[in-house]
Amino acid sequence: MDPRCRLAGLFVLIFAYSFVSDFRLLGAILAFTLMLFFMSGLPIRFILQKLKLPSIIILVLVLILPFVSGQNILLDLGFISLKQEGLHAAGLIAARFLCIIITVMIVLHTAPLLTHVKAMRAMGLPWIMADMALLTGRYLEVLGSDLKRMQIAMRLRGLNASRPGLYMLRTRAWLCGSLLVRGLERADWVYRAMRLRGYGQSMAAPCEYRVTALDMAVLAASVLTAGTFTGLEIWFGL
Amino acid sequence: MHIPDGILPVPVTLGGYAVCAAAVFFCLHRINKRPDPAADIPKAALLTAAFFVASLIHIPIPPASVHLVLSGLLGVLLGFFAIPAILIGLFFQAAMFGHGGLTTLGINWVIIGFPAMAAHYIFRFGLRGRQGPKQTATFAFLAGSLAIMLSVLFFSLLLVTAVPADLGAAVEKTAMLVLIVAHVPLALIEGVITAMTATFLLRVSPRVLHGV
Repeated sequence: MDPRCRLAGLFVLIFAYSFVSDFRLLGAILAFTLMLFFMSGLPIRFILQKLKLPSIIILVLVLILPFVSGQNILLDLGFISLKQEGLHAAGLIAARFLCIIITVMIVLHTAPLLTHVKAMRAMGLPWIMADMALLTGRYLEVLGSDLKRMQIAMRLRGLNASRPGLYMLRTRAWLCGSLLVRGLERADWVYRAMRLRGYGQSMAAPCEYRVTALDMAVLAASVLTAGTFTGLEIWFGL
Repeated sequence: MHIPDGILPVPVTLGGYAVCAAAVFFCLHRINKRPDPAADIPKAALLTAAFFVASLIHIPIPPASVHLVLSGLLGVLLGFFAIPAILIGLFFQAAMFGHGGLTTLGINWVIIGFPAMAAHYIFRFGLRGRQGPKQTATFAFLAGSLAIMLSVLFFSLLLVTAVPADLGAAVEKTAMLVLIVAHVPLALIEGVITAMTATFLLRVSPRVLHGV
């Protein structure tokens, strides 16, 4: 599928999700997201793994809000009380978060990330941003393996990674500094190699994407779904 | 210090995108004015990748551990390139790890980007041509720790005021205070790491410290 249509559809959908605040619509967006998830064929374990890190702030809010926000008490436990408005806010945040993050994963993890960066360039992203993003993406793995190698070398030379204090901070700072020096040294070679291959000449690359009828149909369906959710939210709010 | 999707209302997230777009436009305009802007892109991109990788380094604070943010150091070394670099870093974090979010990309840029630029100016105006290790360490510490404290201030202000729930003035005040105080150790650690990295670079490769 054309990655430009995927990206456009994704952004329209996630902004529509974040606009929803009516509980009846929350059920609908959850059901729609589940449908997309089952259609994508992604394993549940993959989604659960990706939810670990970003869920921390959401988890804290969902656990705290029902007890600190609102006036209508649903359950009084003496020293603490469960409130209706807080419970509503917690449900709203959790549902919107789940719908958005699952939809983002379905779209972005079913194609290489750099394909999406190229699609953004085709959609008008400034060339400086696009080139920086493509090079950053390309060299993340290279510098990541550099870091791993340096950490192994430090351990082999007797670094005690758990030792607290200035010693530990200094080794981390030097590790960070070494990574930056290596990055800049590599950048010089990369730039020379890019110049030799014609980088910086004002020849526009031809657009490598072709929009098919199916792409347009999927994009139209995304816009229509997002429009329906937004329209219903405004309707329910009147 | 990244606000995930689903918390903030649409006007706030769109406002974040508008501010971010204006800042990126301004910086790209400044970068385009250079004699050969293409020459600096590989340097900026590889330093962005190095920062992204370096932010994965753990700092053990028993019983847990923290990740470095390095926004201060990024501002110090990349200057105007820090603005697009942070946006790219945030996009990769959101897309690869689900850390932060795509609807909150603009707002998260505001939280990290403005403090990074503040760090750049603190360091450059503080040193003003003086290159001694003591001055470098002092202003790098200030840049690193103040960038984190500013980010924490923006983060807690946005989180407490824009969350879709009525918290009440007292709870908002307490929540902000708790968030700010809880991040003070991280700000100090970032300041120390920034100062030590800057003095290391001054000794080993001063041209890195001159920035892009």
